[in-house]
Amino acid sequence: MARVSVTDGTLVVEVEGIDKLWALKSRLEIPLANVRGATIDPGMAQESRGIKLLGTHMPGLITAGTFRSHGDRVFWDVKNPAGAIVIELADENYTRLILEVADPRATVRLIEEAKRPV
Amino acid sequence: MGRPRAFDEDEAVRAASGLFAAQGYEGTSVDDLVNGLGVHRGSLYKVFGSKRGLYLAALRRHLDQEVLPTAAALATATDLAGLLTRAVAAYDGGPAAGFLLLAAAERAPADPEVAALVEEGLAALDTAVAAVLGTAAAPPGGPADGLAGILGAAVLGLRLRARAAGTPPPAEAVLGFAGRLAATLPQPPRPA
Repeated sequence: MARVSVTDGTLVVEVEGIDKLWALKSRLEIPLANVRGATIDPGMAQESRGIKLLGTHMPGLITAGTFRSHGDRVFWDVKNPAGAIVIELADENYTRLILEVADPRATVRLIEEAKRPV
Repeated sequence: MGRPRAFDEDEAVRAASGLFAAQGYEGTSVDDLVNGLGVHRGSLYKVFGSKRGLYLAALRRHLDQEVLPTAAALATATDLAGLLTRAVAAYDGGPAAGFLLLAAAERAPADPEVAALVEEGLAALDTAVAAVLGTAAAPPGGPADGLAGILGAAVLGLRLRARAAGTPPPAEAVLGFAGRLAATLPQPPRPA
C-alpha cells in the first residue's frame, strides 16, 4: 500500500509499512509537471512485470520494487490489485508507477485536480 | 524511448469513442479499452497518459469528425423545419452517436476540460440554428433573443429521449412549434 499526496506542486508517494522493505524504497517525489495522468486500473496486475531490477515479486502475494518492461522502468507496490492505480510519468527515472492505494477514486481525483490549471 | 508505435492511433481513438459512447467513462475499464482497441496496455498509457487522456482525445475526435461537420452542414438548411429534422436525426451521430450527450451528463460537471469540449459542441448547434433563423445578431430582450439556444436544447432533449427509448427521434412536436415560430419571426435575409 502507498500513500499519495500533493504538496507544493510535487506528487509525494510514501510506501507504507513493511512494503518499504519489499520495495527497497520508501518515498518518491515527482514534480506535478512530470505527471501525465492517473488511472484506476485493477487489471494492470494481470500484466507481465517484466524483469525485476530491485525489490520483490511473489506472484499472487506482492509486487514491490523496480521492474523493466518493454523498455520502461516501472515502480510497483501492489498486494491487492483491486486498489491499483497507474500514474504515468514523463522525464522521470520511472516511466510509470503502479500503486495500491486505500481509495483509488479519491487518489486519481486528487492528482487530476492538482494538475488542473487554476 | 524512441520505439515506433505499434498501433494506429487514430483508429484506436475512434474505437475508444465508440466504447465511451456505449458505456460511459466510469463504465469503460482499462481492460475494456485494451481488449476493444487491441493495443498493449503499456502503449495505451505511453500515448495517452491516462484513461482520461484517451477520453479527451476520443471526445475531441467525436467533435471534429461528427458533431462540428454536421453542425456546419445544418447551418446551410433553407428553413427551420429542415434544419431541425436533420439535427434531431443526426446532430451527434456517427459511430460514437450520443457521446456528446453522455459526456455532458457524466463527466462535464466534474471535469472542466470535458465541459469545455461539450460546450463547443453545443455552441456549434446553437450557431447553426441561429444562422438559419437569422437571429445570430438578435437584439437582447427581443423575441428572438436566446431562441436558437432553446431550439438547440429541444434537439438535444429529443435525441436523449430517443436514445432512452431506442427508437428514432420523434420530431413532429418540434417541427410544429418551429413552423409557428418561424411565422412570427422576421424573415432572415438569405440569398435566393
